[in-house]
Amino acid sequence: MHLVCCLKQVPDTAEVKIDPQTNTLLRSGVESITNPYDLVALEQAVRLKEQYGGKVTAISMGPPQAENVLREALSLGADEGILLSDRLFAGADTLATSYTLAKAIEKLNQESPVDLILCGKQAIDGDTGQTGPGIATRLGFTLFTYVIEIPWIDINKKQIQVKRKVEGGVEIIRGPLPALLTAELELAKPRRASLPLLIFSLRAEVKVWKAEKINADQQKIGLKGSPTWVKKIFPPPLRKGGPKFDTQENLEVAVEQFLDNLLADKKFADSLLGRWET
Amino acid sequence: MAKNKKGVEIAQIIPDRCIGCQICLGECPVGAIQITSAGVALIDPEACIGCGKCFQVCPVGAVRFERKRHFPINKEKREPEKREAVEFRGVAIFIEVVDGLGAQVSWELVEKGKELAQKLNVKVMAFILGYQIQKIAEEAIALGCAEVHMVDHPLLKKYISQPYGKALAFLCTEVKPEILLIGATPLGRDLSAVVATYLNTGLTADCTDLDIDEERGLLLMTRPTFGGNIMATIYCQQHRPQMSTVRPRVMKAGEKDFNRHGQVYYHDLTVADTPVCEIIDFIREVPQVGGVDITIAPALVVAGKGACDPSSLPMLQELADLVGGQVACSRPVVEAGLMPYERQVGQTGKTVAPKLYIGIGVSGAVQHLVGIQGSEKIVAINSDPHAPIFQIADVGIVGNYLQVVPLLISGLKKRLHTAGR
Repeated sequence: MHLVCCLKQVPDTAEVKIDPQTNTLLRSGVESITNPYDLVALEQAVRLKEQYGGKVTAISMGPPQAENVLREALSLGADEGILLSDRLFAGADTLATSYTLAKAIEKLNQESPVDLILCGKQAIDGDTGQTGPGIATRLGFTLFTYVIEIPWIDINKKQIQVKRKVEGGVEIIRGPLPALLTAELELAKPRRASLPLLIFSLRAEVKVWKAEKINADQQKIGLKGSPTWVKKIFPPPLRKGGPKFDTQENLEVAVEQFLDNLLADKKFADSLLGRWET
Repeated sequence: MAKNKKGVEIAQIIPDRCIGCQICLGECPVGAIQITSAGVALIDPEACIGCGKCFQVCPVGAVRFERKRHFPINKEKREPEKREAVEFRGVAIFIEVVDGLGAQVSWELVEKGKELAQKLNVKVMAFILGYQIQKIAEEAIALGCAEVHMVDHPLLKKYISQPYGKALAFLCTEVKPEILLIGATPLGRDLSAVVATYLNTGLTADCTDLDIDEERGLLLMTRPTFGGNIMATIYCQQHRPQMSTVRPRVMKAGEKDFNRHGQVYYHDLTVADTPVCEIIDFIREVPQVGGVDITIAPALVVAGKGACDPSSLPMLQELADLVGGQVACSRPVVEAGLMPYERQVGQTGKTVAPKLYIGIGVSGAVQHLVGIQGSEKIVAINSDPHAPIFQIADVGIVGNYLQVVPLLISGLKKRLHTAGR
């Protein structure tokens, strides 16, 4: 099987904080990491390779330092790493990104036909979840989003069955290969890198492909190929805090004052005391 | 005014403002800009030719550049192709079908769509795909849609990405709405990405606010990004329809009025081929014992990291029962294994908007706060007077929850008794 895994380098958003005084982002010390959902997709790809044979190609679009993501992928079992890096790719929204990745996968497909593309369900910086479906649509691959399990793949009949998370439950669906799936965290737990692979990942070559290499139409990549533009950016509208009562001096009084304050609005109090009858 | 060694007046990045979007990288004609490992742009002063392009394109004003007045912003390339934009008219809402009924989020969007349509002086239309869905059309009209466009076909009985994506893209090319809104449910997020790719148009996911730029008639789509740490307003100037998915429970649905009138149009499905996928089974989520849907509870008692003592859970449950609500929690409590994921509130859990939110030992990390912004009243109990949650709580108590909550329960009981309930 030829498995392709798409990975994205993202800022560790859990570490990004807002300065409450100035409302600016405190980014110092924020590290770049591999999108956690993509690592799940990679783990699944490597497991499929171990089960069915074949190879895993890891691919990422980003600035030169996104190479780290591919080195990590190599240390976790990917056979090859390809970085799509070109100034012309910069400023891409999801439409331009899915175009760029699809063009690169088309090229990989010419060299060795791709059976399955694995992506994370979304990236933790943008949270859009649009790039995977976009790639599948462009390539005409069968699309399965929010996958939590792959019960079986029949390589001879070119069929795959997956379990995917949908509203209110789990769907079991089957369809033809080649396919693209996007991974939920439940799909697979990423392993730790082994020492030999770690050494391999440091020595291996990460290929860098530019726009020309993948025959990308310059009108469809980067900022030029992006229909959406950012108009403005602002801190989340924070609500204004009200009074707080300290229990240090007198616990009972503080709680009573608190309750009086909470129930001061008669309409709200009636609603609460009537347990939200309408 | 900063100059380099060649005497060129150069542009500089203000790192605190830079969001690392890389737009300037693509614009710089000499490749003088790099993204540092800290994720912000950096301009090489010696390579900069002082053209000011980065200054013009920066969406957040993070470029310091002094010669701006000599470089009027080149608006030319952002002018819309007017002909195309005029051809597309009306606000379309994709009505998601759940168990034969219209999904709540779709009706919320219809109400918002009416507001947008009024500003644009155009119609609101419902797009309904499925099989045997006439009843939903009546509902859509009762909620205020002037037109309903339906594709009623056995192939669309169950949702499968590709046939649905093709059918909705087809409907868009037939009806040509200028705006298409879809609920940000798992189905809606899957479908919208497929449709936007077919139509080669812009899509903004998970919006929390929509408005119209009345001067230019553009849809302004606001969404949280960077894990909820910042809000971004996005627009899509040249491509139609302008597509957006919107989270459930962010907007409010309107009232049904079955005296309203509307036109129903049936469209034949000419583009769909037989689906290549086959749905084998659907396993409905069986609510676990004590399983709840915290997103519909009118009140929530939310345990945070500071209320992780398992023995206090019955007490929190008692408080929740008393205020007619449910017990929920923040992420650390789930990670500690004390409560199931279905009860987690916040960025990685559920977005909630109860009438009353009571945070107990919840410090108030941004990731949690973005999930509770829509709550009517936010109440906090925390032993740390500097906990960020107090900055947004309508009223708070500083103290040990193990002491405070029992008194709160007895105080509330007293008041309920006085009120005769």
